[in-house]
Amino acid sequence: MSAVLQNLIDQPYKHGFVTDIESDVVPKGLNESVIRSISARKNEPEWLLEFRLTAYRHWLTMTEPTWPNVTYPPIDFQDISYYSAPKPKKKLASMDEVDPELLRTFEKLGVPMHEQAALAGVAVDVIFDSVSVTTTYKKKLADVGVIFCSFSEAVHEHPELIRKYLGSVVPAGDNFYAALNSAVFTDGSFCFIPKGVKCPMELSTYFRINTQESGQFERTLIVAEEGASVSYLEGCTAPQFDTNQLHAAVVELVALDRASIKYSTVQNWYAGDENGVGGIYNFVTKRGLCQGVDSKISWTQVETGSAITWKYPSCVLLGDNSVGEFYSVALTNHLQQADTGTKMVHIGKNTRSTIISKGISAGRSNNSYRGLVKIAASAHGARNFSQCDSMLIGDRCSASTFPYIQVQNNGAKVEHEATTSKIGEDQLFYFASRGIDPEEAVSMIINGFVKDVFTQLPMEFAVEAGRLLGLKLEGSVG
Amino acid sequence: MAETTSGARTFLDSLLAGAEAGSDALKTLRARALERANALSVPTTRHEEWRFTDLTPLSRMAFRQATAGAALDASAIAHWTVPEAATRLVFVDGHFSVALSSIVSVDGVRVERLADAFATGNAVLASHLGQIAGFEHDPFVAANTARLADGVLVHATRNAFAAQPIHCLFVSTQADVVQQARVLVVAEDGASVTILEDHVATHDGAYCVNAVVEIDVGANARVRHVKLQRDGKKAFHLATTAARVARDGTYSNLAVTLGARLSRNNVHVLQGGTGTHFELDGLALIDGRQLADTRTFVDHAQPHGTSRQLHKCVVGGGAHAVFNGRILVREDAQKTDSTQESRNLLLSEKAHVDTKPQLEIFADDVKCAHGAAVGQLEAEEVFYLMSRGLSESVSRSLLTYGFAADIVGRIGIPSIVRQLDAAVVERTGGQEIA
Repeated sequence: MSAVLQNLIDQPYKHGFVTDIESDVVPKGLNESVIRSISARKNEPEWLLEFRLTAYRHWLTMTEPTWPNVTYPPIDFQDISYYSAPKPKKKLASMDEVDPELLRTFEKLGVPMHEQAALAGVAVDVIFDSVSVTTTYKKKLADVGVIFCSFSEAVHEHPELIRKYLGSVVPAGDNFYAALNSAVFTDGSFCFIPKGVKCPMELSTYFRINTQESGQFERTLIVAEEGASVSYLEGCTAPQFDTNQLHAAVVELVALDRASIKYSTVQNWYAGDENGVGGIYNFVTKRGLCQGVDSKISWTQVETGSAITWKYPSCVLLGDNSVGEFYSVALTNHLQQADTGTKMVHIGKNTRSTIISKGISAGRSNNSYRGLVKIAASAHGARNFSQCDSMLIGDRCSASTFPYIQVQNNGAKVEHEATTSKIGEDQLFYFASRGIDPEEAVSMIINGFVKDVFTQLPMEFAVEAGRLLGLKLEGSVG
Repeated sequence: MAETTSGARTFLDSLLAGAEAGSDALKTLRARALERANALSVPTTRHEEWRFTDLTPLSRMAFRQATAGAALDASAIAHWTVPEAATRLVFVDGHFSVALSSIVSVDGVRVERLADAFATGNAVLASHLGQIAGFEHDPFVAANTARLADGVLVHATRNAFAAQPIHCLFVSTQADVVQQARVLVVAEDGASVTILEDHVATHDGAYCVNAVVEIDVGANARVRHVKLQRDGKKAFHLATTAARVARDGTYSNLAVTLGARLSRNNVHVLQGGTGTHFELDGLALIDGRQLADTRTFVDHAQPHGTSRQLHKCVVGGGAHAVFNGRILVREDAQKTDSTQESRNLLLSEKAHVDTKPQLEIFADDVKCAHGAAVGQLEAEEVFYLMSRGLSESVSRSLLTYGFAADIVGRIGIPSIVRQLDAAVVERTGGQEIA
């Protein structure tokens, strides 16, 4: 069986290529003048520069976290270029004006822009190396009052909203990488759904890292006002490089009374080769605040890429009756390392949260679930259910679970379950007896294993996620 | 363990005061442990392993080493005696009491004071003492080893079988003292013994127990270890139990925590051969301002090991229960089958629980599962009992009793089960259901 499986899991990275586009890059290194220069290039207001500098000064006092269950050589933060933007920078009115080289890139990824745009109800805010190149469906969204634009655009056009919500969920000094991001973030997406509006389409962004050795520091902010709802999709692929790249993004979600935000991610950054050379360091801070009553935030993630993944999409359930959800599939192969999970902080009364985490480790990889369920003394009637399942493929990989459960209210009910298993010979035998070959059997077993999570993904992503698992583990996922 | 606070250091110094003389090997062991104890500091909540247990109250106490106090009358310990256990070793404030102890010899099972074993130069000591409970990183084990002068040695030779439990009773009669407790159990291949470790007090004052139990289970041997921590409500109880289990050996540990203002019970079980079986059960029944911290580490270092663990906490008043259960399945430990359950019942609004069941798995052909649950009594269950004519308080007591009795029932020593049942009934709502 191991030979078959080995064959299946050794699929090469199919998205590895470098697009040759001229880039405008800031010299390597990090200091106040680099931050001022980034801010000046983006023509930012004084208060935002101040936000960056405060974060930077705080960052200087912090030390790199060592508690995650991952190992990597020390990162030289002075050896990174903190800003790169593709040229030319002129504004584009239609798809035809987009750099043909760029369009070909997306075509290679299997998600051509034309098709994406044609897919019913999907607006794509394409982020190519930190700067927004084009935005579609903007007008349709504007008609209902939804603001969906690049972060730098939002800073100029909706400064009052950015000022109000930036750093309100993830403060500038929250953790080492969030502070770094707050200091040097280049661009990202901003999304605002006004009171009572149900966003008429799925919103999606494509992140890419293109220039070699340029870290990418995205900033996403989504605000759903009273009664609003939105589903946001984020997909990542990255080309193949030999040097490690740092990716430290921050995502902030704010849900007011009765608002609901669904945030889905398919992450397939370059994971390094089978010897662990290269690959992205994905150190991300994602947090949602259920500020209002009856609000809901749901995270769904499919993590298949990155040499190292270090992310804990979290929900702070402040409003009474608010709901937090976390659905995750994390797949690691070769020498990949993932330390991922979630934090559910229950503060309001009758708050509920669900955690479903599925980890698959293969090769010599290391896959950890680390989660926190905290029930504050004020959270009467809070309820949590967590399930963390791990699957091991091969005897040189590892799976760990570190669930922290802290309960300070006796009216709360918290349940946690975790299991570890492998694809058993008996399962394969059963499939074989039904005339199904091992490859298809493995594919069906894996699909069954992750089904609880995949059903949470929006249609478009469910297809892409299936394709990604296919790339990582098998020839084709049935 | 980097940081040191002066108060904490003072406490460690009081643990280390006045080491006694002994054989050369013992002196070397003590000196090594002393070196480590001096190098280590009392952990703070900044250490991951001590995140929920703050030792600051301990470092504020001014403890001195316990001296041999006035002789205790047999009647004073009468209600703690266990009729099933003919062999009883009683330590009063850490000092052996000849008058209260009785050792009944069983073929092949030798029970003696560590002090006597030191004097006769028992070879078992050289190969086991201080080698199962590592003191390199633990200041309390280091301090205990550095001060090692007396304790219990149970040595069961090949295929020896002791039907009766061996009762090690540690009584505290003095306040403001530190008392050490040390037990070494060596069960050779095929031997079978049961150890009952029992901590009690005759007074309500503050004192500190620093206990270390080392257990070596040979091939096919079976050691059953029941620990009752019934210290006074103002006591501090720091304990480490370390067991090493050889091929096809069985080790079971059942710990009941009722007493102490602050208690920490470390249990470290190492699989030294294939096919071993571990059972770890725990019950913490606490209220008031008590803090009970249990940390277990099951190390499946070899293939074909099985482990079963059930830890229950019943937390009332403003008490705080902590459970950290780590299961490690090492690279070649294939066919490991391990389960762990952490069940917690919160009886009051101020009670709280921090639980962290932790799995680390480096082998693929294993079955591992863990679960944790925190909650209060089910309203439906209470309603059911009330529909049968019981009052609400009796219904609640009965359900709480049922929750705890599950663990107590596993002890298997009838008189202890009766004593604990009574204690559980008292804690869960008085005499109404008795």
